[in-house]
Amino acid sequence: MKKWVEFFERYGVLIAFVLLFVISAAIRPDVVLKPENLKNLVNQNVSVGIIAIGMTLVIITGGIDLSVGSMLALSSALSLLALRKAVGDHGSEAAASLIAFLVCVGSAAAMGAFNGLMVAYARIVPFIATLVGLVGFRSLCSGIAQGGEIRSASDTVFPALGNGGLPVPFLHIDGGGPLVITYGMLLFVGCAFAAGFVLNWTKLGRHLIATGANERAAVYSAVPTKRVKFIAYALMGVFTGLAAFAQVTRMNSVASGTMGQYYELDAIAAVVIGGTSLSGGKGRIWATVAGVLMLGLISNILTINSDKISVYYQGAVKGGIILAAVLLQRSRSE
Amino acid sequence: MPRVQVQDLVVEFPGVRALDRVSLEFQPGVVHGIIGENGAGKSTLMRVLAGLQFPTSGFVIIEGCPVALRSVRDSISQGISMIHQELNLVDELTVAENIFLGKEIGRFGLLDKAEICALAEKSLARVGAQISAKTLVGRLSIAQKQLVEIAKALSDDASLLIMDEPTAVLTEHETADLFALIRQLRESGVGVLYISHRLNEVEAICDTVTVMRDGRVVGTFERGALSPAEMAAQMVGRPLGDLFPAKIESPRKKMVLKVESLCGDPMPLDASIELCEGEIVGFAGLVGSGRTEFAETLVGLRKKLRGKVGLFGSETKLQSVRASSSAGLAYVSEDRKGAGLILPLSVIQNVTLPNLDAYAHPFLDAKLERKAAERWMQSLSIKAARPESAVMFLSGGNQQKVSIAKWLERKPKILILDEPTRGVDIGAKREIYDLIFKLALEGMACIVISSEMTELVGLCHRVYVFREGRIVGSLADDAITEQAIMTLAAGVAAA
Repeated sequence: MKKWVEFFERYGVLIAFVLLFVISAAIRPDVVLKPENLKNLVNQNVSVGIIAIGMTLVIITGGIDLSVGSMLALSSALSLLALRKAVGDHGSEAAASLIAFLVCVGSAAAMGAFNGLMVAYARIVPFIATLVGLVGFRSLCSGIAQGGEIRSASDTVFPALGNGGLPVPFLHIDGGGPLVITYGMLLFVGCAFAAGFVLNWTKLGRHLIATGANERAAVYSAVPTKRVKFIAYALMGVFTGLAAFAQVTRMNSVASGTMGQYYELDAIAAVVIGGTSLSGGKGRIWATVAGVLMLGLISNILTINSDKISVYYQGAVKGGIILAAVLLQRSRSE
Repeated sequence: MPRVQVQDLVVEFPGVRALDRVSLEFQPGVVHGIIGENGAGKSTLMRVLAGLQFPTSGFVIIEGCPVALRSVRDSISQGISMIHQELNLVDELTVAENIFLGKEIGRFGLLDKAEICALAEKSLARVGAQISAKTLVGRLSIAQKQLVEIAKALSDDASLLIMDEPTAVLTEHETADLFALIRQLRESGVGVLYISHRLNEVEAICDTVTVMRDGRVVGTFERGALSPAEMAAQMVGRPLGDLFPAKIESPRKKMVLKVESLCGDPMPLDASIELCEGEIVGFAGLVGSGRTEFAETLVGLRKKLRGKVGLFGSETKLQSVRASSSAGLAYVSEDRKGAGLILPLSVIQNVTLPNLDAYAHPFLDAKLERKAAERWMQSLSIKAARPESAVMFLSGGNQQKVSIAKWLERKPKILILDEPTRGVDIGAKREIYDLIFKLALEGMACIVISSEMTELVGLCHRVYVFREGRIVGSLADDAITEQAIMTLAAGVAAA
């Protein structure tokens, strides 16, 4: 009996995900089990997923980052501006794309570092400090684009990066081309492994956990808690930059007002569904990944069945799932 | 019949019996003092009466009927209120709002502010407080806050007031005012349970004094039956030989630490100490006398305002725990659960936390970490189900050993132990004492901060006594007696 409780405690998200998947597959096997649908399920959630991985690290320290959606938009916008300029100056699209990548990740990392400074050194509550970014980064992004859209100047490299990938043998999409595992999906998996590794096998990971579990005790144990928190937010920036690059190459344009909107909420939801405590001190990367897929699966199911349930109700269903996840975790801890 | 009685109260914590069949009576209109060393069971008894701790067995009897006090609310409704040492008021609310917090007057969810204010003024007048009910509590002095707390208790119709070290935060003049108030309350038939370390004050204000030791009542005495010196003797009354290993002389050859006029914010004030290799030095003093502040300032947890720190002959700054622990200084906090350990983490993770560099090559070596934890569990006989068990499931004594182990892991040359045996059962105490002796014999310099005077007498080669942020004296070898310590710590002439 106790073993079962423990098992459920550990793998609750996975069990729920598998259950939901089996049910939806049973209802509409023709659509759900199609390789292309499975690919979309992951591919559409790459950006939120990468952000959620970074968010897990931040939440483990007892913090939160609300600015990531706006950060994604602003770093994407800056990246496209850099791309346009570089293409104009040199003409080489490949070189320009590299510059765009560096600007994308670099600018997001700088924004993350800014958040880190505010939280760790200026000691502003994370919720407020990153609310500044949520509002501010978005406004800067809209300002740069004059409220409109920034178009890419890359006709080949960006689309190739955004939509290309490793072809899966024997599987084809409806149009007849090969089914590919996109670079974005690979990046998502790579980020998950990297974050999981940092969390479990490095000094930094242990320091993140200690800081979140009991900051005072961490200070007394010679953990440089300020630096640790700063690094968490800076890393969040790096992850957001990577997510931004995955998205901007796929879209090949930036809609300044809406790109990345509510990503912070989706990411936090995924982390919570994965069982990471918002009070900090514990969390698992794989569970967050499962949380991302869970949210993706719900959207997927609802979209497939949009003839029966209007897409407008997606939010209500997601809300219900988050609530259920939180309630389940609470009853477990008590 | 006494209004409030306790009968055969037993409170057990993992590994410790905090109260052992305690039976007492509290009469109305009587100031009843309770004295005893730290860990004697005074605070547990108060917590039971205040509804903060439910007894393992035994009864609280009010007006002849056993009652179950499961919450502060239960206790208040039975007429028992506690004035906490750290006052429980909300700074952002007014005096009146604080007094009526949780029992607001009004209709339809709207507050009747005029009525609340008027009633609050009345309670304030009863305690003789010259404060407007509309003042924000945050603006009041500590003594005034205490009056508000008492007014609050009286507005709850308290017939038994529990005061925990009420004068610890007061000046001499304020103390006199408080005593006048207590006497006035006594006249009006309110019973007062007065807990204090300050034996002179206990003698001055209490009609009855109960002495507690090791969770038991040693005896209850009428006013005038005991002098402060006799009270101290009753509080201790334990042969030391059983509890402490035989002292070994310290060579006192090589000085390892010399602190000159260390000042912190707000404490310590101009504190200077010296410490030699293999020496065990005690810090004595009442709670809040600056002992912990000295240690925390020294290791870089608090800002140093002034003063020189010489470590192994060279001057150092030690601005962070990181710096001081690299320099060979380790501080084991008195607040085991809040600062010493990270309770939800495992024994392994706690033990290796201050010393992760040793396990990162460059990535953490889980096997090596586990081995270290196992090694410490064996050498300090830490009882835990597995090295992976969260430390919150360990008993007080075992937790304490983990919090020491994590610093021994860094191989310090100077070890500061703050209240190393607080909340630890007798058996584990002896083990910790043995460990301290062993470390000293191996050449480690140890500072032991303790409120248990027996501990300082039984362990230390020298003792510095703190009072109000300053070091007011030092004692060595045979001059270290409880009486001498108490005299210096309380600032009274020897009885």
